Amino acid sequence: MSASSLRSFEYLEGLPGTTFNRLYKQPSTALAIFRRMLPHLAKSFVMALLYISHPMPVTDLEAWVRPDGRRERDNAVSLLERLHILAAATNPGKPRAYALTNPFAASLRLALTGGGNHNSFGVPYNLSEEDTMSVADLDEFARRQWEGVLGYMVGSTGMNVASEGVTLSQGVKILLASGALVEARGKTVDITKDGFAFILQEVNAQVWTMLILYLQNAESLNMDEVDVLAFLFMLGSLELGLPYSKANFSQTQANMLEDLGDFGIVYQASPDSSYFYPTRLATTLTSDAGGLRSSSFASTADNNRGFIVIETNYRVYAYTSSNLQIAILQLFARLITRYPNMVAGKVTRESIRRAVSMGITSDQIISYLTTHAHPQMAKNQPVLPPTVVDQIRLWQLEGDRMKATVGFLFKDFNTQAEFEAPCRYAEEIGVLVWKHEGQRKFFVTRHEQVAAYLRNKSGKGG
Amino acid sequence: MNAPPLSLLTIILDTNPHAWALLTPTLPLSAAIANLLVFINAHLAFNNSNKVAIIASHTQRAEFLYPVPSQDDSLQANGSAHNGAQNDLDGDAKMVDSDEGSGTAAGDDANHYRPFRHIQTILLSAISKLYKTTSSESLTPTTSIAGALTLALTYINKQSIALSTTTSSKTNADTFVAPSDPNLIQPATLNPRILILSVSGDLAHQYIPIMNTIFACQRLTIPIDICKIAGDSVFLQQASDATHGTYIALTHPRGLLQYLMLGFLPDQSSRKYLVPPTAVGVDFRAACFCHRKVVDVGFVCSICLSSKSGLSTVLCWNYSVRRRKAPHV
Repeated sequence: MSASSLRSFEYLEGLPGTTFNRLYKQPSTALAIFRRMLPHLAKSFVMALLYISHPMPVTDLEAWVRPDGRRERDNAVSLLERLHILAAATNPGKPRAYALTNPFAASLRLALTGGGNHNSFGVPYNLSEEDTMSVADLDEFARRQWEGVLGYMVGSTGMNVASEGVTLSQGVKILLASGALVEARGKTVDITKDGFAFILQEVNAQVWTMLILYLQNAESLNMDEVDVLAFLFMLGSLELGLPYSKANFSQTQANMLEDLGDFGIVYQASPDSSYFYPTRLATTLTSDAGGLRSSSFASTADNNRGFIVIETNYRVYAYTSSNLQIAILQLFARLITRYPNMVAGKVTRESIRRAVSMGITSDQIISYLTTHAHPQMAKNQPVLPPTVVDQIRLWQLEGDRMKATVGFLFKDFNTQAEFEAPCRYAEEIGVLVWKHEGQRKFFVTRHEQVAAYLRNKSGKGG
Repeated sequence: MNAPPLSLLTIILDTNPHAWALLTPTLPLSAAIANLLVFINAHLAFNNSNKVAIIASHTQRAEFLYPVPSQDDSLQANGSAHNGAQNDLDGDAKMVDSDEGSGTAAGDDANHYRPFRHIQTILLSAISKLYKTTSSESLTPTTSIAGALTLALTYINKQSIALSTTTSSKTNADTFVAPSDPNLIQPATLNPRILILSVSGDLAHQYIPIMNTIFACQRLTIPIDICKIAGDSVFLQQASDATHGTYIALTHPRGLLQYLMLGFLPDQSSRKYLVPPTAVGVDFRAACFCHRKVVDVGFVCSICLSSKSGLSTVLCWNYSVRRRKAPHV
């Protein structure tokens, strides 16, 4: 389960039950949630229950799972309940039994068998042969737009990234700012810690993060959350390289198309045209195989997923000519030479310290290097040289020598006995952090109980 | 990151017209295929990269129903453009799993997920073509399961090679080097399994080829699941038993879909956690090599390991026996 889907999980789980009810009315949504959000075992449960006419007793389900798989079973069941897919019903006189909730079950059945009149899988648009866009063109468009967004974020660090003629709309900039991925400071923008984390993720995860930001902002843009989500899941079920009609779209969806075009998720020739193309970013939304070739184009223009070689002497070689990738690399490495198809540099203490001070963590750097490792490097086990990994971690730890604890200082005790009693009490209840006998001072994380103790004591004494 | 594995489900559908005609009152073929389609869709819904292949085991031949082998050259060109992953250097027939022709014709239905509808159109047309080309003289009460199993194995092999060439490095070129230790789990990228929907019994005359394919599956750790809708055959029970597959004999053929969904849909990785609904008693009887009949008591030749129904047949069976004038049974 990739990090991105976990993130969307958390978001979905927070939605109220009525939202789920409306969401599951669309077969494409039911299918996408089934496919993308559920762990493997949960899918088996759903399918087993899908065509059963009466609820399945809890004991039957328990008997179906092996005793050593109990933890997986409980996980699956609780997740299904949280997503309002499965409900346990208790009827008097009958044992507790599980059944799928209705809008979900009906929609999933519709998705599997076809039929109905919901149009949730997109209406293809008939276009003459010569007008159609090739898949390669769509990929190129998606790559350019998405790198434009990333370039806008990275470019703000002062490294000059040519934006390749992509102009970002105001909406995208506002979205990035509201998600705290960038911070506006006067005329310039600064990338934040979250922004760095975002940039170092893989594309699919980036797209999801962005879309969830979009969802959270939907209300403020007067859009219906359910409408937006359903539309996104519909996009995931479309086929790459086919034009689709916009004829039955609501106002919300039409607006969304324009915004998504800025990210490169969909392509339309002009805002007024009556059809659009989903790009690879859209069609892989609901596929969870991270190793799909789909995510490859993000790394560089050449269809090569990994391009970074790092040696035990901290030298980095990156086979790329993409300005964006170079700029990202420059965040944590000192680049020395640039060739037409490659840059060479070195990971140094200064470069890592600089990255850490900007809010990048060593884990982010390591995971970035791992995911973009050159195929030749990827054969190694472990992928990165352990010395380099350890050293990057150590360089980060250098800055973490001080630890701040919020709390309260007690001082000015008159006698040693007066000091010792509350000090011992604080130690017993586990709030003491530090004490100094000579200066008669001690430091606690919570003061209420200690204060009450002192009051109590002085009350008794006086 | 623990991505769910890609699984390839190969379905062998017994299409013997005789047997289906007998089943018509309870489960007509059309209903069975409709159920099967829902099951296939459910399998594909599990994971974007899940794959499926359907093979018909007809009276005298076995044939691919999906993906269909391309016939003429123009289609072949399209096919190779689409499945660039498949290596066609060896001059194999190319398998087309996308047909441009019907793509736009059936393309107007926005209520059906495209990949699902796509399989449905291809499967239905392939089945109707199969029955159109069936002549009345080719009708026999049996079905060529062995041929279908062999086709399934070749397809699985081809797909696994194609997969290992597309996914970069790490995995060996042949992911299906049989593990010598059965407990050793291969880091196989493809999780294949075979499901046989069987309606006709009496496969004794194909005893040897069937057992050979079963042992091949056993070595490759490919489970063979058996959904026995009608009839009973000894060897299919042995097949599922030897390969750790599931064997279910349907008591209510009308409920085919529920049997499929509950018993056959979970793939290998979910089955780890599930109690298999398989039958306890397995019929281990073998068939006589010369009479092709299932025998209760058999005799096994200690030299060639062939099994026979009685001593009397031995002398006419083995040349060496006759030469040495001493039966070695």
